[in-house]
Amino acid sequence: MRLSALFPRGYAFTVIGIAVGVAGLVALGAMAERITRFIEGGDRFVLGQISIAGEGMGMGTGFTAGGILPASRIAEIAAVAGVSGVQAQVMLPLNTSTSHFLTLTQELIMGMDLSVPMPNRHYREFPVRAGRSLRAGDRRATVLGSDFAASRHLAVGDTVALGGQDFTIVGILEKTFTAPDRFALVPIEDARDLWLRRDPLLVQAFGAGGMRRADLNTGAAVGWRDGEDPDALARRIQSTVKGLNVTIPGELSQLLRQSTAFFSALLLGIGALGLLIGGLSLANTVTAAVFERIRDFGIKRALGATDLDLLGEVLGEGLRVSLWGGGAGVLLALAIGTAVDSRLLRDGQQLFLFSPRLLAFALVFSVALGALAAGYATLRIARLSPAEAIRRGT
Amino acid sequence: MGLKKTYAGPEGRPVPVLAGVDLEIASGEFVAVAGPSGSGKSTLLNLLGLLEPPDAGEVWLGEERVSHLGRRGQARVRGASIGYVFQSFLLLSGLTALDNVLLAARYVKRDRAEARRDALALLARMAVAHRKDHYPTQLSGGEQQRVAYCRAVLNRPPVVLADEPTGNLDDHHAQAILGELRQLAAERRATVLLVTHRREAQAGADRVLYLSGGRLLSQPPASVA
Repeated sequence: MRLSALFPRGYAFTVIGIAVGVAGLVALGAMAERITRFIEGGDRFVLGQISIAGEGMGMGTGFTAGGILPASRIAEIAAVAGVSGVQAQVMLPLNTSTSHFLTLTQELIMGMDLSVPMPNRHYREFPVRAGRSLRAGDRRATVLGSDFAASRHLAVGDTVALGGQDFTIVGILEKTFTAPDRFALVPIEDARDLWLRRDPLLVQAFGAGGMRRADLNTGAAVGWRDGEDPDALARRIQSTVKGLNVTIPGELSQLLRQSTAFFSALLLGIGALGLLIGGLSLANTVTAAVFERIRDFGIKRALGATDLDLLGEVLGEGLRVSLWGGGAGVLLALAIGTAVDSRLLRDGQQLFLFSPRLLAFALVFSVALGALAAGYATLRIARLSPAEAIRRGT
Repeated sequence: MGLKKTYAGPEGRPVPVLAGVDLEIASGEFVAVAGPSGSGKSTLLNLLGLLEPPDAGEVWLGEERVSHLGRRGQARVRGASIGYVFQSFLLLSGLTALDNVLLAARYVKRDRAEARRDALALLARMAVAHRKDHYPTQLSGGEQQRVAYCRAVLNRPPVVLADEPTGNLDDHHAQAILGELRQLAAERRATVLLVTHRREAQAGADRVLYLSGGRLLSQPPASVA
């Protein structure tokens, strides 16, 4: 059977009306999904580890803004009861003119001590889409976040300049919809080199003696043993080892949520607006389409149709019309979203996230609301006598 | 019996249309009801055909008081026992001529193949079989009325109500429809009630009644006579 044969005859404008409403709903929903995934992803990352920096202010950025964290402190942290692993890190902003406060969206160089497994419980390894992860012994090699790579049209095997040094791209991360999408992961020794090149003051301090390369850390990620309460462990580390900035995972999560409260409210508003606009448009279109056929219902009742017959017919048509409209709306939103995102991706941004749950919800929502609107209109019409329905529709 | 109907006029003032109509028609009888426009002919047909409820009075079909049936019961009677021919045809624009005819069979749950055979035979008899796949807008007025007639009689209803069925037709097509209605009464013993204001349409009726002042008269009122 040809697809066109399934199209409800005489309902072209109704389908278009529904499609526009559903497209609005899906587009707004996709924006909300994008924001949600960003917040959830960040939350998931910070709740998977205890992030620690040296006391005070320094070059460290990202999750561990603070002073230098020397190797001796890292050894002390590792000795605290309940700690399962400590990974030294060096986080540097890619562009030093970027404000350090824009930690949620800025591009970062993240140097990792590859001799230690990642202690983050939710990211034992960053998921790699192409190429491979960094390995112990790698030098001048990098794994890029998906947005970082896409915005520069970079692929595995290419070379990228980070802090004035060339790095070979050995891997590209899967899209996480959160901070790592804008990371350039490098071996910690390379990150230390970049840090020293950038900070003349640090070179002087380094040259004055007392510091070794292993002391050049902006922070560390700390893991905990099974059964350990991470917040309690973080407080224990804070009280046991002096001279640290310890982020309590629960508090950081709360802080993250507070700082994104505006986005959460915006997202709620967008979702509600999408439901309202899409829902009203759809219900209005279907109801109007049914009322337009009031004369037909009068004729059918004159021919013996019962209320149940008409309700069945209208629901069937309403479902078909809503499915076509909903499907067309989803496709329209996908087309618009893809076009907009392909333009934004040049700057490493993505505005829409068309998740399967969103698309399924949009279809179910349009079909259910379409059926409800059709049923309501039919019941209104069924109150009229057949003669009255014919008179009103003529 | 004793059918009354009043409509709400402008500013809500009641406009009485039927003031107690008594009418009994035998099986196989062809009755014409005449009267000027606005005299209540169509209203009478609507009440008799259960297309709208009377304010007072009863409608009987054989031994059954159909005016007091529930919505489902009245739908059953309309589908199985009453055929309508409307002045403005009232075909569904989204259906072909054949599907419009078959619509009458859908709600009485007739076997589809058998109904289709009957519908095609009727369309052939009314000389519109070659238009069976055409939509109403692709048919002339005469063709539409013949299709509407086929729909009205597809289920062989014992009662056929025709509301000005020739009002929009030329003489040739009008005579064809009237001939069919007469034949229905004579050969199939159907009760046929025709309302019209055309004198030539009343020719051949077993009885001609006149609607005036909301009542049925057996003789034309003085102003008409």
